[in-house]
Amino acid sequence: MKSIILDAQKKEKNALLEECKKNILENQAQCNSCVTIIEDATTKKETSSLLSNIPYVLKDNFSTKGIETTASSNTLKNYIPPYDATVYDRLNQTGAILLAKTVMDEFGMGGTGTTGHTGTVKNPWNLECIAGGSSAGSAAAVASGAVPFAIGSDTGDSVRKPAAYCGIVGYKPTYGLISRYGLIPFASSLDHVGILTKYVQDAAIVANEIKGIDSHDMTSWDSSQIELPSQLEKDISGKKLFYIKEIVDIENYQNPTEELRIILNQFQEVLKSLQELGAVVESKSISKDLLETLPSVYTCISSAEATSNLSNLTGIIYGPRGEGKTIEEIIVNHRTNGFSPLIKRRLIIGSYVLQKENQEKYFENAQRVRNQIVTIMHSFFKEYDACILPCAASIAPKIANANDEMKQDFAVLENHMVIGNFGGFPSITIPSSIVSNMPIGINLTAEQKEDEKLLNIACKLEEKLNFKGGL
Amino acid sequence: MSKFTSEAVDKYAKDLLFELSKEENTMVLNEFEIIEKNMEQIMKLPNLKETEPMTHPIELEMTLLRLDEVKDELSVEEVLSNTEHKTMENIIVPKVVE
Repeated sequence: MKSIILDAQKKEKNALLEECKKNILENQAQCNSCVTIIEDATTKKETSSLLSNIPYVLKDNFSTKGIETTASSNTLKNYIPPYDATVYDRLNQTGAILLAKTVMDEFGMGGTGTTGHTGTVKNPWNLECIAGGSSAGSAAAVASGAVPFAIGSDTGDSVRKPAAYCGIVGYKPTYGLISRYGLIPFASSLDHVGILTKYVQDAAIVANEIKGIDSHDMTSWDSSQIELPSQLEKDISGKKLFYIKEIVDIENYQNPTEELRIILNQFQEVLKSLQELGAVVESKSISKDLLETLPSVYTCISSAEATSNLSNLTGIIYGPRGEGKTIEEIIVNHRTNGFSPLIKRRLIIGSYVLQKENQEKYFENAQRVRNQIVTIMHSFFKEYDACILPCAASIAPKIANANDEMKQDFAVLENHMVIGNFGGFPSITIPSSIVSNMPIGINLTAEQKEDEKLLNIACKLEEKLNFKGGL
Repeated sequence: MSKFTSEAVDKYAKDLLFELSKEENTMVLNEFEIIEKNMEQIMKLPNLKETEPMTHPIELEMTLLRLDEVKDELSVEEVLSNTEHKTMENIIVPKVVE
């Protein structure tokens, strides 16, 4: 098993810190991954944790007392939280060293890494391509080798998709395994904390250090019996996995690109690798009509929740104050100038679907579809250990072509990872191969609270695939 | 036919306390057209009415009410630390009552 963190532990701590500081400055110059760099970061007193004196970066939607936290939005420019997110607090207790706060799509509402207020994040594999989003800076920093790990957040696929585009591991644990206290919310029923690393073992180590019940987050739960790195090396012979045939069948896509054909062929090669490990892989079916609604269901639910969560952004108590003669004028000026067009679109849709006359047709029906899909997945997980699928229909798109407008071509393959958020299922992407000189990834998802099993399967598959595309 | 018109979009923006440019208004309308189409498809799904809306993915463990004790309290100074518009323990805003 490979581990950047365990290798880093063998280095002298001052030398490691200086190396990572140099790396992060180089990464910033190249990829624009950071909103804030902690240039005066220093080594800490050794702790018994595996993360002691390991440098890392944190997405800029985690509250850090005394350090600017913007969620990459102009509405929070210069905002300095008076308290710490639990994740940051726990990492401080381990002795890990925060090196930077990373660029994201504004408030996490995007999948490109192009909407942050400090500019576009570039993919270290090809600077003309997006890193993906919304945890764009976190993914780019880890992929370039600047730091051993990064923390992100995942509401639709915001850790797993950029990880796939950047050729690294992106792990979103079961909903509530990691506290979200101090994470600036986007859509509370879908938001998860996630981890980005180069190897599965490192993701397990980091998640194990920051997980656990938190009295500040009523959605967190007692995971003291779960030891995430404990089963990584177990034999996976006999494990049963399924894929959803409607998602990977080329016949379901009109005008498939050559790239899509290659990605789906590569997926079949990954399935062969799993079978060589002794795993059983079978296909399961979910109605195409149901799968095609995924993007709209996600947009309805997440936008509605965001409308409520972002209503506290007025510029009165924090954030740059707008101009105006009345309180209302001040708030309108603050929000008009502060929110990007993408955020405004999401908030309007959220407000519309929450109107009394629209609630049942849009919001509640979206929640019903969510229930139907999650129920089907629960039924599959009674028989299978995990679901395996490709992460996306393409390699990382060119920056010039990237936008967050809803598209219908390949929509199911591009958006299926939201199922992990709908059901709170643990879900991980690992790099699998190279297509057109860019990495592609594989997504694995398991039943709630079966994170140990998921990481075990991911770790063994990672070993078998032996992805050699690291930068 | 959707009631989601350009005028309605501007009204929702006003209710949400921000303004939209003409381009932003058009972008919302275009995106909503796709959602509307998918919603029509959703309504044709079998057993939809019999399915409970899912509001949350996981059973909550922390359901006990906590004691009404003050803890982790922020000081007034900390709360006001992000605005320059303050006096004593208050935030300054334009006069509301003329």
